[in-house]
Amino acid sequence: MTESTAYTKVFDSPAAALDDLFDGATLLISGHRGMGVPESLLRAVIESSVHDLTCICHGAWPHGDDSVDLDDLVKAGRVGKLITPHGFDPDRPGAVRSLWESGKLQIEIVPQGVLAEQLRAGGAGLGGVFIPDGIGTRFQDGQEVRRFNGRDYIFRGAIHADFALLRADSADLFGNLTYRGSQRNWNPPMAMAARISVAEVDEIFEPGGIDPELVITPGIFVKRVVQTL
Amino acid sequence: MPDLEDKPRLDREIIAMRVAKELPNGGYVNLGIGIPTLVSAYLAPGQVVFYHSESGVLNCGPLAEEGEEDINLINAGGQFLQPVPGMSYFGSADAFAMIRGGHVDVTVLGAHQVSARGDLANWMLPQRGVGNVGGAMDLAAGADDVIVAMEHTDRQDHPKIVEECTLPLTGKGCVSLIVTDLAVVRCTPDGLVLEEVAPGWTAEEVQELTAARLMISPDLQEYQL
Amino acid sequence: MPSPERIDNQRLARRAARELASGEVALLGPGMPMLVPGVVPSGPGVTFLSDSGIVGVGHQAPQTTEAQGTSPGPGGSLLSTVELAALARAGYSTAAVLQPAQVSADGGFCHWTSEATPGLLPPGPAVEMAANAGRIVFMLPHTTTDGQPNIVPQCTLPIDGTVTRGVIVTDIGVLIIEQAGLTLTEVAPGWRSDDVISLTGASVSVATGLKEMEFSLDDMRPVNKVFSSGLEAVRDMPDGSTVMIDGFAGPGGMPHYLMVALRDHGARGLTMISNTAGIARIIGFGTPPGYQAIDHSILIENGQIRKAVASYPVSPSPARPSAFELAWQRGEVEIEVVPQGTLAERLRAGGAGVAAFYTPTGAGTLLTEGKETRMIDGREYVLETALHADYCLIRGYKADTMGNVVYKGTSRNFNAVMAPAAQITVIEVDEIVGPGELDPEAIVTPGVYVDRVVQRPSDFSPYE
Repeated sequence: MTESTAYTKVFDSPAAALDDLFDGATLLISGHRGMGVPESLLRAVIESSVHDLTCICHGAWPHGDDSVDLDDLVKAGRVGKLITPHGFDPDRPGAVRSLWESGKLQIEIVPQGVLAEQLRAGGAGLGGVFIPDGIGTRFQDGQEVRRFNGRDYIFRGAIHADFALLRADSADLFGNLTYRGSQRNWNPPMAMAARISVAEVDEIFEPGGIDPELVITPGIFVKRVVQTL
Repeated sequence: MPDLEDKPRLDREIIAMRVAKELPNGGYVNLGIGIPTLVSAYLAPGQVVFYHSESGVLNCGPLAEEGEEDINLINAGGQFLQPVPGMSYFGSADAFAMIRGGHVDVTVLGAHQVSARGDLANWMLPQRGVGNVGGAMDLAAGADDVIVAMEHTDRQDHPKIVEECTLPLTGKGCVSLIVTDLAVVRCTPDGLVLEEVAPGWTAEEVQELTAARLMISPDLQEYQL
Repeated sequence: MPSPERIDNQRLARRAARELASGEVALLGPGMPMLVPGVVPSGPGVTFLSDSGIVGVGHQAPQTTEAQGTSPGPGGSLLSTVELAALARAGYSTAAVLQPAQVSADGGFCHWTSEATPGLLPPGPAVEMAANAGRIVFMLPHTTTDGQPNIVPQCTLPIDGTVTRGVIVTDIGVLIIEQAGLTLTEVAPGWRSDDVISLTGASVSVATGLKEMEFSLDDMRPVNKVFSSGLEAVRDMPDGSTVMIDGFAGPGGMPHYLMVALRDHGARGLTMISNTAGIARIIGFGTPPGYQAIDHSILIENGQIRKAVASYPVSPSPARPSAFELAWQRGEVEIEVVPQGTLAERLRAGGAGVAAFYTPTGAGTLLTEGKETRMIDGREYVLETALHADYCLIRGYKADTMGNVVYKGTSRNFNAVMAPAAQITVIEVDEIVGPGELDPEAIVTPGVYVDRVVQRPSDFSPYE
């Protein structure tokens, strides 16, 4: 490394970091039951004019007036399709439920472990994996099943996305990320699987401000960093 | 061809210098051993490159000083590194997910042979009966751009750019650019295009030392440093 | 006639917790199972994994949601969603605790999240949690709010899995799930078996020793994976084992002390999976000037290795052959050369319950001859299969007594990916600390993957 601090992945605002988001893009969104949601980035997408996004994420978890969630993104008319293991919470009905019920939002349900593995396969350059998840259930229907060592496995193709919206605790200028507790959840596989990963963080450090042993998502997987608002 | 054998060629440092021009600012780069290792010394002022090593470190810096060696901080060639700000550590599965997943923008590798179709052979000499593949096949298959940095001919002056590789392949159709001590050759879907020649060398002379047909770029120029 | 009172969720959680013994690894689905860590005793006993990636140990306060993130207590660590799924898929959990909406007589179940959203049927993490756990503990109300049985002859919704071994804990009784069917073994205080059966849709047999449900929880024996010496930790390795041994190539990350122990133990006919088959000693790779590292060569010279699986098996210089290459030339050992990234990925697959994967690496080369290929999005991929081992000898920097590990710098290399891929994982560290002394955010290998921890003696030299 030379001239280290001359280089930065930090963008001025969430909107600037998502300036090239386009209609019909595939978008990965971190967060798990309200934990580790990239709220500032979601606000920027809501305020943009893109539509027909395919969003891959854990699901909707609307939780109050001050916070922003996938549900608000759907309500704003940005989303055409959801791929999710969870969909929405039955006790917290919102726009996801009503738009799905009225046929305006397509939802594809994928078991959590299958989705996670497909994202990793995409990020790790694999063409697909044979995993046992879902054998003997409806998730086997229409899939390629093959036997290895006396057990049935289902072929699952890799997932690639255009953008990933990540939520981390801290970043350095090179995009190295650390998380706080269960905020980590979907971030590491999503960071790998998208062409452009954008991380929203609480704190931004100069290079050297993060212990290299504590980096969970190395900067090679992160194109852009923004300060959470 | 005897006159060509004696004709002065560029040295390894110049090859490395030429390759350095290919590295994108802010790019992630993996350097193989040999000539590729020299490339890091020739970045343009202000240019930033993040070096990836399959030993499990990103943003590798300069080599450690004598007496400062730490067995827990090495590059893939076993050389000791200095700790520098902005590094991150990871295990082998992640190191190769980065490579295979297309996250490494450029790899610079040495080669025994490169074919007209951009096939690469650099891991095994059959007479030994066993070879060390290491990470070469992953880099060949995974990096966005594979640049080969090598001498144009081998020690017996046999061409290393050939119609078909006779040595075991590392990857098929993976090479994007060949930088040698005589020329810069781009691998395209239509074949090999000679883009630059070393000072004092003509396209015809380079073709004579190349065992695959070279198309001459309309913009053929002298080696650009 | 008024029914006796049903037990509350807190007591239901206590009864479910009685199913878990010290040392168990329990996956927790969303809903009622999340109450269980709050009722078990403190201390390093049961390891709990929630679907958000928290690995908690022993008693844990209930997790909050709707925050940026919840942190585990002492001895805990953190997993991403993909790591959690890998752990579940590879069968590392001894139990999964789930809340089904319905359970059928043949063990089929529908998760509550599937039922709660008719038409959408999202199972969340239930599919992979149930499929590969040692056994299942179901927690659910015995009937729906309008009195319909939740334990039914056939699920009325598509199932999320089938359980062949487990227990159902409800607010009025406990039933065992076996191949043969359901057996009522306990009833809630004040309940008679007939009353429970009348609220059960599936046919149920009554255990001869039918008891009243109990809710007391004993203190747990603390988990301690520390072994007294390297030799003690490898003593049970039989001849013919497959053993993974770390090392990128140099001494950084190499379990020298365990390799010496394995040499002294003397198991023979071993298949060794490692990045190199021992080249550090010959070429000084990653070795400080003036030193010669102990490497895999000591096992080869002792005649213990039958086959090596490696990416960089021999010295880079034919003029300086390693012990392995000499043995290979004599025809004493076999070799399988695997590209380094494929080696890492095959190990990862082994530890993540992935049977096989398609990789572009090596397509069209000598190393993939005869292997199945497939065109995916216009590119050729090769099918590669998972690697498993009986033992794994690895090297960390520090571990706690529960087997949580941190590494140092580039010495992490193959250690972290090997640990989950073997039946018995033995780790050699510089320092062993108590549970809770390692920062959960810094733990790379959670203790779930580590069986034996050995401290390298302070007077042991990794150099010859």
